[in-house]
Amino acid sequence: MASKKRGDETDARDEGPATSLLDVDALRRIVELLETTEITRLSWRRGPERLLITRGHGPAPIVHVAPGAASAPLPPMQPVSLAPRVAAASEPAPAAAPGTDKKGHVVASPFVGTFYRTPAPDQPSFVEVGSVVRKGQVLCIIEAMKLMNEIEADEPGKITEILVENGQPVEFGQPLFRVEPA
Amino acid sequence: MFKKILIANRGEIALRVIRACRELGIPTVAVHSTADATGLHVRFADEAVCIGPPPSRESYLNIPAILSAAEITRADAIHPGYGFLSENADFAEVCENCKIRFIGPRPEMLRLMGNKVRAREAAKEAGLPLLPGSAGVLKGPAEAQAEADRIGYPVILKAAAGGGGRGMKIVRGRDAVSAAFATASAEAASAFGNGDMYVERYIEKPRHIEIQIVADEHGKVIHLGERECSVQRRHQKLIEESPSPAVSPELRRRMGEVSVRAMERIRYNNLGTIEYLLDERGEFYFMEMNTRVQVEHPVTEAVTGVDLVREQILLASGQPLSRKQEDVQLRGAAIEARVNAEDPVTFAPWPGKITGYSVPGGYGVRVDSAAYENYTVLPHYDSLLAKVIVHAEDRPLAIARLQRALGEYVIEGIRTNIPFHRTALADDAFTSGQYDTRLVERLLASEAGTRRLRQAIEETP
Repeated sequence: MASKKRGDETDARDEGPATSLLDVDALRRIVELLETTEITRLSWRRGPERLLITRGHGPAPIVHVAPGAASAPLPPMQPVSLAPRVAAASEPAPAAAPGTDKKGHVVASPFVGTFYRTPAPDQPSFVEVGSVVRKGQVLCIIEAMKLMNEIEADEPGKITEILVENGQPVEFGQPLFRVEPA
Repeated sequence: MFKKILIANRGEIALRVIRACRELGIPTVAVHSTADATGLHVRFADEAVCIGPPPSRESYLNIPAILSAAEITRADAIHPGYGFLSENADFAEVCENCKIRFIGPRPEMLRLMGNKVRAREAAKEAGLPLLPGSAGVLKGPAEAQAEADRIGYPVILKAAAGGGGRGMKIVRGRDAVSAAFATASAEAASAFGNGDMYVERYIEKPRHIEIQIVADEHGKVIHLGERECSVQRRHQKLIEESPSPAVSPELRRRMGEVSVRAMERIRYNNLGTIEYLLDERGEFYFMEMNTRVQVEHPVTEAVTGVDLVREQILLASGQPLSRKQEDVQLRGAAIEARVNAEDPVTFAPWPGKITGYSVPGGYGVRVDSAAYENYTVLPHYDSLLAKVIVHAEDRPLAIARLQRALGEYVIEGIRTNIPFHRTALADDAFTSGQYDTRLVERLLASEAGTRRLRQAIEETP
């Protein structure tokens, strides 16, 4: 997946309706989300709206917004999964994978199992991106050996990133959430 | 046949199993600790799952983590390798309950052979010759002394749950029995959590001879001849060979027959190794049984032409034995040297980064190793770095070939016991084939031995 590679460029295009939703809050969210990925450049265009974000070396994220505003399609989350082997051999251990330039801390899986965001299939997720959690609050469930293990927040804060998709297998030390001090 | 095999091990044996699986067309899953993320088994398996932090008990011995890894990758069989969980009956049983095939003998076999006292009783019942010894666990120093008197000195006190030389004491006279009992029992209690002891006759010049057993799920058992593992230090094997220069065709037939009969009687399945002590008169006595693939299995593969790991997987899947006893022929001579990351003189482990690396090759040379240039030998696990195995038409040529291969092996950045191997292979006792389990001890105590070792250290690249 492209977003896994460092220094990749992402081009997002959408010829959708011109109703603009790109306000300051939406922009902030986009920038925050980008900061949790390896994407260094995002260029987006919809009708008359254009958005180009580059980041990496140099000053903090540069944001150019054309007249009007709209919500950008979210870049895909960095898939952290049981990666193909050749990649794993040349990369640091999963626990060390998240870049050091990112804010907040990572809640990692304490064991091997299956990741669930909801207490039961028909129920809402424990947390979403943006949720403010207190210490000890349940963030997800890791199923291992037929046992549902609740994983709790070790520190209070705001969930800025959910790094694994519901129902996916996770390994020991795999990052699950990024939490920033609220 | 299995759809996917998870290898619950690391290092060269994990790689060995992955190779066999690949040749069988079976996808593999490697499990690893965080420290082993760059290991070759992780690289060459089709999938890999990190199961825990570096300490073995939290990763390679972590049964829930390994089973969860099997579950999320949908592996239907687990190969345990050697060490770690390979002889853990509880693990084999849990695998069975989870409908995952444990590639090895049935759990009750592991349980039977995992306890030395029970194993001895089972061996006796199955008709294997035993060293004269106590019937079961000794109640205390007084019983130890009475039993030792009955057996005759010298005797050896051994821990019921022991292994690797811990919890053992040789006693040469009755005055020393109670002190030795106290020490060995305390050592066993701290090492294995069980201070139970037994006592048996001690042989002055024992040779370690083991018989390779191959058994299918349908009651058929054959043996693949012997391996001699008398070159050992503190009960850790260093050089193994097949055939043994001490075993005549007649003795091989006798040892093989008695072993196969015993295995048929207990309805053993899969691979196993029966370890015997051979005394000066050619009498052999059951020591213990290993219910897994052995580190030294390649010497048997070399002389018999049987791929033991492949065979092990096929047998676990229910296939019948691929050959009959009369089809098994030992051809030529094979020797294996275990190259450890350790100081060649003090034998102290020597973890660290390998900065330069070149593997020997050529006709009749096989190197099983998970090392590579820039690989870091980790302090968390055992020091076995590589197995250099040679095969030749006769023993003298095999010794020359192993010397040649070890001379080509470049391992820079860490210390290895290659100089020790070169010294041992040049020792008169070894080259003449007239050696026993105290070869290493004698070699290191002799002036000629230490001089040759110093010279070998200088000559090692």
